[in-house]
Amino acid sequence: MSTSRIRDSLRTDLQQRDFDKRSLLFVPIALLVFGGFVFPFLILIRISLAGQPSGAPYEEGSLTLESFVHVVTSDLIQYIIGFSILYAVTTTLLALVVATFYAYAAWRTSGVTKYVLLFSSILPLLTTLAVKTYAWAPLLAPNGNVNDLLLLFSVIGEPVQFAPGLVGAVVGQVYNMVPFGILAIYSVLISIEESKIEAARDLGASRIRSFYEVVLPEIIPGIAVASIIFVTWSVGAYAAPQLLGGGAERSYAVQIESYMLAELQWAFAGALSVLMLLTGAIGVLIALWVLNQSEGGVRIAGQ
Amino acid sequence: MLDSRTGDQLQLYLFRFGYAMLTVFMLLPIAVVIGTSFNESGSLVFPPEGISFAWYVEFFADARWLRSFENSLIVATGTMVISTLIGLTAALGIEFRQNRVAKSIVGLGAVPLFIPPIVLGVSLLFYLSFFGLQQTYVGLIIAHSLWATPIVFFVMQSVFSRFDWSLWDAGLDLGASPRRSFRYVMLPSIKTGIVVSALLAFIVSLQEFVMALFISGRGTRTLPVFAWLEMRTNLSPMVSVASTIFVFITIAAIGIAVSASSLNRLADYL
Repeated sequence: MSTSRIRDSLRTDLQQRDFDKRSLLFVPIALLVFGGFVFPFLILIRISLAGQPSGAPYEEGSLTLESFVHVVTSDLIQYIIGFSILYAVTTTLLALVVATFYAYAAWRTSGVTKYVLLFSSILPLLTTLAVKTYAWAPLLAPNGNVNDLLLLFSVIGEPVQFAPGLVGAVVGQVYNMVPFGILAIYSVLISIEESKIEAARDLGASRIRSFYEVVLPEIIPGIAVASIIFVTWSVGAYAAPQLLGGGAERSYAVQIESYMLAELQWAFAGALSVLMLLTGAIGVLIALWVLNQSEGGVRIAGQ
Repeated sequence: MLDSRTGDQLQLYLFRFGYAMLTVFMLLPIAVVIGTSFNESGSLVFPPEGISFAWYVEFFADARWLRSFENSLIVATGTMVISTLIGLTAALGIEFRQNRVAKSIVGLGAVPLFIPPIVLGVSLLFYLSFFGLQQTYVGLIIAHSLWATPIVFFVMQSVFSRFDWSLWDAGLDLGASPRRSFRYVMLPSIKTGIVVSALLAFIVSLQEFVMALFISGRGTRTLPVFAWLEMRTNLSPMVSVASTIFVFITIAAIGIAVSASSLNRLADYL
């Protein structure tokens, strides 16, 4: 009786110690997450709730919604919010089409072509965002290669200024996001059996129809991941609108940078950051809702 | 019948044309970067007019570029060490203990991947300036570890899911301490995973520039940040030189990772 009790207590004692030791493995990540992300993020929210005096980054000790009110009622910021939403929708939709098409092509091709396609999608990931964005500038400039090509084929009568401008900002952002979407969608595609498509084709479905009815419903999870990445990144876009856009292409991030580094208005920067995150979160919810609807729709059509 | 076949052929050609164009789209900026780095003239024209290494010579003679190059390597190495340690211990911890607290800490760790870098940069600038750590390597390494750590964690988690845990139990049953079992039983089979995730962390840090733009200072500017500030004032081929060097460093790193994993596989067969 007593020995078994001792044994039990010894066992719980050992388990207890074991538990404590193994839980130590979470200490480093907890330090990083709380010290490097959660705590700084709380400070950001705190500073967004401070007043914005002139001549100081923020008013210490004040607790007010002033900065939010200023930001929401400012004409410039209203323009920026509108632009950012349109920009995010446009670039996300374009990037989804490109990434899905490209991933599908990489999946369906074989041999050298497959390698070239996969390698070409990974190479941009190895180039820093700052530089691959700027590489579009000489291509899209009024005297750049794209204009030369379009003039050669008489698509346009006179040179068009794609960059700096809206076209440049959109192309640059789509280019920066697409490789991540390709990876997300391709990783789902490889789990589908290609014989399914062959079966659909044998039964008389066209290439396009076999894609829509056989492949698309299966890759919705990959498209969902890609959408989350695209929406959050395009709402927070900085490099492409800054470097390839004109004065009209002013995104949240461009304005936040100007508040932070040029005008030293930290409270406004904090409030605008919170607004940007809200926009991104709403965007992700809408994207997921749309995907859910379409998935249901496809399922009903298939029955 | 004939109609549907020609329609089918047309679709096939359109499909091929589509992905050929997109491949060009993916490669074009890279071609511009590499091409302009060998340009003879000082302006950014593509295709380059004449091949020369003049800008490479100038790059390695310019103290400011070299300094930022060095800064990038310091920050990337620091990020690699820190995030590999943190990601590895967290992935190991999740294998042993899957309680709710642990899961939510690890889940929270993945959130920074979906937060625009500008928000991370702004909040870290607020935060670091409380401790006077803005413009230091420490701040940059923390910032980049926020992205690198969850990536290391995911890689290591998939490595552990393929690890034969009965070997671990056998090591413990035979009287080895957990530390000894880790060193002699587990480490040999997860080595490759560690190398791959460390290199990914290194690459993530090497590339990142929006966070670094906010929290680096004159002495700690990384190469992408310096390139960004330079290209906003003048477009010279120096930026192309810097990033061409970067692309090749990254390809070399991936080459090492790939050969490390295939060497390991080779060792498995032998």
